[in-house]
Amino acid sequence: MHTHRSEDPADWIAAVAVGDRSALERLYDRYSPLVYSLAMRILGIRADAEDVVQEVFLQVWRRAETYRPDRGSPECWIVTIARNMALARIRAENTMKKGIGFLRERSGTTVAEPVAGAVVRAESALAVRSALARLPDEQRRALELAYFDGLTQSEIAARLGEPLGTVKTRIRLGMERLKRLLGGGEAPEGLP
Amino acid sequence: MSHDEWLDRADLYALGALDGEELGRFEDHLDSGCEECGRQLRETREVLLQVPRSLSPLAPSPDVKRRLMARVAREAADSTPRAALARRRLSWARVGLAASVLLLIGLVGFAAWDDWNLRNQLRDLDAEAVMLRSQLVQRKDIIRYLDDPEVAIIPLAGLGPSPGASGRVLWLQSDRSGYLLSRGLPPAPAGHKYAVWAIAASGPVPAGLFTHEEVRRARLRLPASPTPPEGPFRQFAVTLEPTPGGPRPTGPQHLLGSLASAAPARSLTGHEERRAKSPPPKLQKVLEAGMAANAPDNPLPPG
Repeated sequence: MHTHRSEDPADWIAAVAVGDRSALERLYDRYSPLVYSLAMRILGIRADAEDVVQEVFLQVWRRAETYRPDRGSPECWIVTIARNMALARIRAENTMKKGIGFLRERSGTTVAEPVAGAVVRAESALAVRSALARLPDEQRRALELAYFDGLTQSEIAARLGEPLGTVKTRIRLGMERLKRLLGGGEAPEGLP
Repeated sequence: MSHDEWLDRADLYALGALDGEELGRFEDHLDSGCEECGRQLRETREVLLQVPRSLSPLAPSPDVKRRLMARVAREAADSTPRAALARRRLSWARVGLAASVLLLIGLVGFAAWDDWNLRNQLRDLDAEAVMLRSQLVQRKDIIRYLDDPEVAIIPLAGLGPSPGASGRVLWLQSDRSGYLLSRGLPPAPAGHKYAVWAIAASGPVPAGLFTHEEVRRARLRLPASPTPPEGPFRQFAVTLEPTPGGPRPTGPQHLLGSLASAAPARSLTGHEERRAKSPPPKLQKVLEAGMAANAPDNPLPPG
């Protein structure tokens, strides 16, 4: 996992797309702990989380040619697949909708611009943890329910017994703050 | 809506938390080619990407990688030129897979079909409920007429074209409304309907045009009384008219009856002076003649 750090994982995906199995191994070594810990956080059951890991990298193998670097980093792509697969297990009913929503390649030329500046790399887990820890509890809770439990805004409102508007505000403020703390994106200006 | 609100939704959308109407509207907005929202979405996703990094890293068992690579090796072999051989070796697995897929497609298809079917049934039941409700309202209304001492009941007898038909009119003169209840009228030919006529001394007034089904229980209502008012209506007739019908009867007469036939002495003697020049007696004759099955086609007095 450390021997390939200098290489660009996007190139590994390109290699996988032409059938290079060793490139898949490199991707696995790099990202499987992330995928596994996410799946564990969502599912809480080791065997299920391991199934998800295998399925995620099988998808990477089968669908590598669909990866588009201009749509996001390899990590973003893989983590998105992982989250969707894990949420699919706990929410069979809404899986298709959410999965398609997340994985769907947005049509045409509308979002072809590279996102180099927005791609955040090499943030330490500590930095992210501390950023999350610095969010007010209720903002973090709303974000976690959306991210790890796959709940929609209305479901979060119902779960917390709060008005929908309150939940939206918490998520918005939480996301703004996360973006500022992690420096990953320019927080939209002019927001209250 | 200000564009900042779309940007807020981009965050919710990236989280997968947008739902309901907002979800569709935001997707439409994205599809309309909003670059700013597209960019915001990608940025938010990259930030969200870091959320799993906050988790304590865990390593899956080495078995997972072994199973994965074995499976990938099999799939790779399958796509080589020797795939045909491998495919034969794997045929049972493939048959199993194909069967599962077919079963799944079948189940999904069945669910969709079932859903469609249930929806249709629901729609049918809805329509039936509406129909029953309107029938119930109508029957209650008829009972109301029957209960009303002001309402006159005029029996109708079948004439030449429909000797077996019969009916009655429930008539509330003060309201110029009522019901025709009939049975035994034959289906109207294409382009024709049954017309009901309320007949006063001044001539017949159209009281409604009905299909063969409707004429079994038809609500009659005359327009507000003109000046000078017609009536009282002592005769009722049903003729077959080409649609959309006209102000005067032109077609063959199927049912006819009069108050006179129900209570001839009192009702007719009260209008002795009108009787001399008005059609009722003539109609009465016509009715009698009609019952002898040789009525003329259009015995109603001309308007």
